[in-house]
Amino acid sequence: MGLRIGIMSMAHMHAYSYAAAINQLDEAEFVGIADHDPARAQECASRFGTRAFGSYADLLAADLDAVVIGSENVRHRELCEMAAAARKHVLCEKPLATTAEDGQAMVAACRASGIQLMTAFPCRFSPAMARLKAAVDGGTAGSVVAIRGTNRGRCPFGWFVDKALSGGGAVIDHTVHVTDLMRWLTGKEVVEVYAETSNRMFGAEFEDIGFLTLGFDGGVFATLDSSWSRPKSFPTWGDVTMNVTCEKGVLSLDMFAQNLVAYSDRTGGVSWIPWGSNIDLLMLRAFVEAVSNGRPVPVTGEDGLRAVEVALAAYRSAEAGQPVSV
Amino acid sequence: MFRVAVIGCGGMGATHARCYGSIPSAEVVGVMDQSAEAAGRLAESLCCRPYTDADAMLDETAPDVVDVCVPTPWHADYVVAAAGRKPRGIVVEKPMGRTVDDCERMIAACREVGVPLFPAQVLRFFPEFAAARDQVLAGAVGEVACVRTRRGGPFPRAWNNWYGKLEWSGGIALDLIIHDFDWLRWTFGEVERVYAKALAAGMSPGADAVEVTKDYALVTLRFASGVIGHVEGTWADPGGFKVSFEIAGKEGLLEYSFNQPASPPYLAALENPDPTRAGVAVPESPTATNPYQLELEHFLGCLDRGVEPDVTPDDGLEAVRIALAANESAATGKPVVLRA
Repeated sequence: MGLRIGIMSMAHMHAYSYAAAINQLDEAEFVGIADHDPARAQECASRFGTRAFGSYADLLAADLDAVVIGSENVRHRELCEMAAAARKHVLCEKPLATTAEDGQAMVAACRASGIQLMTAFPCRFSPAMARLKAAVDGGTAGSVVAIRGTNRGRCPFGWFVDKALSGGGAVIDHTVHVTDLMRWLTGKEVVEVYAETSNRMFGAEFEDIGFLTLGFDGGVFATLDSSWSRPKSFPTWGDVTMNVTCEKGVLSLDMFAQNLVAYSDRTGGVSWIPWGSNIDLLMLRAFVEAVSNGRPVPVTGEDGLRAVEVALAAYRSAEAGQPVSV
Repeated sequence: MFRVAVIGCGGMGATHARCYGSIPSAEVVGVMDQSAEAAGRLAESLCCRPYTDADAMLDETAPDVVDVCVPTPWHADYVVAAAGRKPRGIVVEKPMGRTVDDCERMIAACREVGVPLFPAQVLRFFPEFAAARDQVLAGAVGEVACVRTRRGGPFPRAWNNWYGKLEWSGGIALDLIIHDFDWLRWTFGEVERVYAKALAAGMSPGADAVEVTKDYALVTLRFASGVIGHVEGTWADPGGFKVSFEIAGKEGLLEYSFNQPASPPYLAALENPDPTRAGVAVPESPTATNPYQLELEHFLGCLDRGVEPDVTPDDGLEAVRIALAANESAATGKPVVLRA
């Protein structure tokens, strides 16, 4: 019998991919789903062939080892603290939290309960990223000098643009993935952030453009485009790229560049059909293996918190018009 | 017929000289370089006289147009000297000058004698960049939100490693991505604020004494319009020279990349003469007239008709200001406000 996993909230679209991954993993068992929206819990339970629970408490009271939290960002803390109190290991969707205080509380609650908290950063499990990480660690290109990163996307709308639920716009949504990759790649922490932001794509209350400059401990510098700048007609959801300038060369990553190109008269457009490895599945497998074997999870709550702190610093910088310390 | 004298016979001087050779209304009457060998080689290919002294060349040939292509810190002296002879026009290679003072000195000297001065911001004459600007102005992507450009390749090896000396070249921001700064300003308007990280310009203390064999800069621009820009410049990429840009707006996205398309318009893939080694594929994107020639033809045409060229001396100066602001930001770690 595998690790028994439940999902707390299907509000985030990534939760659907995680649900499918749980079903694909022999070493995991999908116990059920609870959601703020009972109808969504029912619908998803039948879609993924699992059970709907009437409340989070009911789910946590079931025979369960771990949960995946897929709620709106601001609810992560509440759900994480419930899971920690019930002594269930947690895989939490990114961004870990919308305030440093919430993130710290989540890390502390899990530590106090002796359960593991993993932040859902699937990009760490990309095979192309593994090549990049191995090349940097192997030292063939020399040490890292600077990184130009992007995590551009289409605007997801829905609760993602409701600050009361998301904590912000494009910056909090799209800063954390590549910030985490940069921290992991360099082994350095971000110490300074400068950001220019605007809402010129949609002219709404949320920021849709975020151009960040990051200064790392030890002098590596980077920029990160976290904008929702892909139009509706773009052939895919967005990208994750890093152009890593090293002492002896340049290492380039375009994580989602493995696609068929489809020209369809049915949809009237061009779209990319991804055929690369399923990094959500690879991430879930890593979580399940670590928790099942009592080994540390490969991406921690602290990792999630560090990335959130960078996004929060970007908001402070944009407000101040100056670089700010992290 | 425009009789042209070229000052400086390095890469750009040779490029400009050869372009004049292809322009029916122009004739190169002299080329000058402090290296007699460089001047001699270029003069021979153009059937004109070589000089190692600019005054002698200007006195003897009395050119209609003087084209200054020496390393950046000497632009001002040669342009001012040329202006004193009141030619019909002067071309100054980009960046217009090493400092704002240099630029202002050239502008004043030329204005005083009424000689048109043309900063050679050639990117405006690259058809893909001109087309992108036309598309933006025609509203192809709607109101623009952000723009990103990327330019660079391997480190340029040249006389005395002058590109690597911050004091001479001004680093990659002033020497290379000034192309993008000028095109961005032409397309999206004035720049309000600049923030940058850069290898050479970020070195301290005594940044002017810095000498490097690679440079890299990441520059964020805030335009008065509210558009946010990002310019990447590299002299640290052994993978070859590459250029790309994207412009994102409310109603669409415009993308361009040179040397990166899956299917370039022309590709020569040749077996290596040494059968034990792999062959080499060289992509090209040929156009009917090269942009440098278009640029110089434009200037000569304006001189003929007595109209102001599309690139003004102030445009040259403003591009220098943006690049120097990037260097200042990289050195101080603070954003530089160009206009409130």
